[in-house]
Amino acid sequence: MIALASEPQSLDPRFGTDANSARLADLLHAGLTRPDAAAQRVPELAAAWEFVDPTTVVFHLRSQFHFADGRPVTSLDVQATYEAVLDSALASPKRMALAMISHIEAPDPTTVVMRLRAPFAPVLDATGLGILPADRARDAGEVTIGAGPFRLVSATPGERLVLAPNPGYPDAPPRLDPLIVRVVPDEVVRSLELDRGTVQLTEDTPQPEMLDWLGAQPHLTVKRMPGTSFDYLALNLRDPRLADRRVRQAIAVSLDRESLLRFVLGGAGRPASGLLAPEHWAFAPGRRPRHDPERARRLLDRAGYRDPDGPGPLPRFRLVYKTSTQPGARRLAEAIQAELATVGIALDIRTYEWGTLYADVRNGNFQICALAWVGVGDPDLYYLAFDSTMRPPAGYNRGGYTSPVMDRLTRRGRHVLDPARRRTIYARIQRRAAHDLPVVPLWWEDRLVVHTRHLLGFEPAPDGNLRGLAAAWVE
Amino acid sequence: MLRRVLRHVVLVVPTLLGVLTLVFAFLHLVPGDPVEIMLGESAAPSDVAALRHDLGLDRPLPAQYARFLVRVAHGDLGQSIAFRAPVTAVIGDRYPATLELAATAFLLALSLAIPLGVVAAARAGSMVDRLTRIASLAGACLPTFWLGPLLILGFSIGLGWLPVSGRGGVLHLVLPAVTLALGMLGVLVRLVRASMLEALGQDYVRTARAKGTPGWRVVTVHALRNALMPVATVAGLQAGALLAGAILTETIFAWPGLGRLVVEAISARDYPLVQGCVLTIGVSYVSVNLVTDLVYQAIDPRLRDAD
Repeated sequence: MIALASEPQSLDPRFGTDANSARLADLLHAGLTRPDAAAQRVPELAAAWEFVDPTTVVFHLRSQFHFADGRPVTSLDVQATYEAVLDSALASPKRMALAMISHIEAPDPTTVVMRLRAPFAPVLDATGLGILPADRARDAGEVTIGAGPFRLVSATPGERLVLAPNPGYPDAPPRLDPLIVRVVPDEVVRSLELDRGTVQLTEDTPQPEMLDWLGAQPHLTVKRMPGTSFDYLALNLRDPRLADRRVRQAIAVSLDRESLLRFVLGGAGRPASGLLAPEHWAFAPGRRPRHDPERARRLLDRAGYRDPDGPGPLPRFRLVYKTSTQPGARRLAEAIQAELATVGIALDIRTYEWGTLYADVRNGNFQICALAWVGVGDPDLYYLAFDSTMRPPAGYNRGGYTSPVMDRLTRRGRHVLDPARRRTIYARIQRRAAHDLPVVPLWWEDRLVVHTRHLLGFEPAPDGNLRGLAAAWVE
Repeated sequence: MLRRVLRHVVLVVPTLLGVLTLVFAFLHLVPGDPVEIMLGESAAPSDVAALRHDLGLDRPLPAQYARFLVRVAHGDLGQSIAFRAPVTAVIGDRYPATLELAATAFLLALSLAIPLGVVAAARAGSMVDRLTRIASLAGACLPTFWLGPLLILGFSIGLGWLPVSGRGGVLHLVLPAVTLALGMLGVLVRLVRASMLEALGQDYVRTARAKGTPGWRVVTVHALRNALMPVATVAGLQAGALLAGAILTETIFAWPGLGRLVVEAISARDYPLVQGCVLTIGVSYVSVNLVTDLVYQAIDPRLRDAD
């Protein structure tokens, strides 16, 4: 039995967008490919693939995969699933991620031909979409029949899901039978369930104090591995103060990331230099902003924001820091407020429930806020986050960052197919981002899993997926 | 009696209409767009517009409101935006859990509060009275977020008698029901005691004693009946609040009730689901109010005569 903090909104890969929907849909469904620890695509339904020309990708399917209802997975299922998601009538939130696909063909049961509108290197990132049986692909309701390692036996909304091994799964069938997934929202109660042994695993990062306690329990194991989630401070560059690179630099160097990490995450993370973690195939080592409050003060002086009373209480200027009501987010806000105060920047912290905060961020109605990229895949994310045309609602450039150099590089990165050339382009992009600081990098969060010593064989994944359960068993 | 019930039922309509109007207005005033939350930031503007059209969110607010009311009148609460399922089905999945927890907690609190309050009043000033008052004050003051985990530590982790959380058999119900009931119990015990003390000082009680009526009969028949009126009022209000879902208790004990559902629906800006939940809560409140009114009449014959 495992415990999650929140209920997945959908187990259907066409619709689920929240983290737990993705985690559980990944247990029930199989895609053409899936990411490895370096965010490179590795085979799943597809044994191999090739770009036969810049706009055509051919996938060769494995014939051993079967849906949970016993039917074999064929290219027609792949074709039907992709066509359904691409059809605007289904209103799938995944549609935009597949928008570069012009059409899909299934010339024989084990071959899928994907034709693109233009050369598009990140296309493989979209091939993790879980495949449904062709006759269910256009259902308006939730479809849970997939070809993943588990099948859904029963679901009690808000409470629990019961999963069992999918007999048609070819890669080492799971040994956990049944696998019960419970929703336990309270962190203390999740920990107590683990302590009592009624829950065998939880994978939601606990507060540092709770982590210490869990680690001290002899019958529990705390596993930590480097993660890919990137935490950062989003800055609104439409604000004249934050538009000045010296101010952004001052903010970056005024933060002592190591101590912030210890305070906020109990040290479960690594100070970040940029969006891509060191394990990522396109990562290029770069300079991390080093904690230097004296330099921060000089930068602010040079930018014209002199401290009106030296070490006195008056700040150079005030900014509003918006954050969510989550305890961890509030803790981070207070810590950053204290660090920026030492260089003369006063932060007014405002907490909002998530829907309101999200709307404000999208509408550019913020000055500073802490956000995170979870499960970073293809580095094309740089285009969506930093290209000048990608301001919401088109993309994620919420701070309104504009740089002709960044625009040119990120656009080239998505059309060059050669991996080596792409790596070079993204190295330049990372250097540019580190120089311009459109966002202030904080850290890459570690993946933390706490489980009982009876659960064996489970290895956490850097992006937090739960596929490791397919190889786990209870002693 | 029937007229009274009918009058209540007729009053339900404007009450619920008022509640729904306020909720509709507030939901649309707060920032946050359900379509953007549902489709995510990367959604194409054309997809956002298409879905907004499908959901009727592109219409003027009065038109959306009128459409909603017409649907409600036909028993159709619409589709949940977040769960992609009929609102009635989503609420139907959760409401039995809320009913189960609320009814158990309510009955537990009431069945303990009345005897404890009566004994405390009948033995006013004694050690029993003092202990009851201290315990009831503590019960009313202990916050759920502290009491819940404490009970889990004691009875689930320490003694291993009860499950930590979740919904299942009777054993799963004990800790959340006790947590909820203790808060109610503190208030009700003090109220029963105070009402009983007042009733025991009345002339008719002295008369009953003078006529030689046994002490227990004076307390339980003569005084208690009259002391129950304010208790029924407060208990009715508390029962209504319980039916709205006890968010903290449901969260702590992983209880899949309406309270948690409302919070999830508000976070996702799931307008139809929030409105459906509010309607359910409103109907629950009004129903409890009606029952309370009937209880008044059972307790006080003068109210029956007034009809």
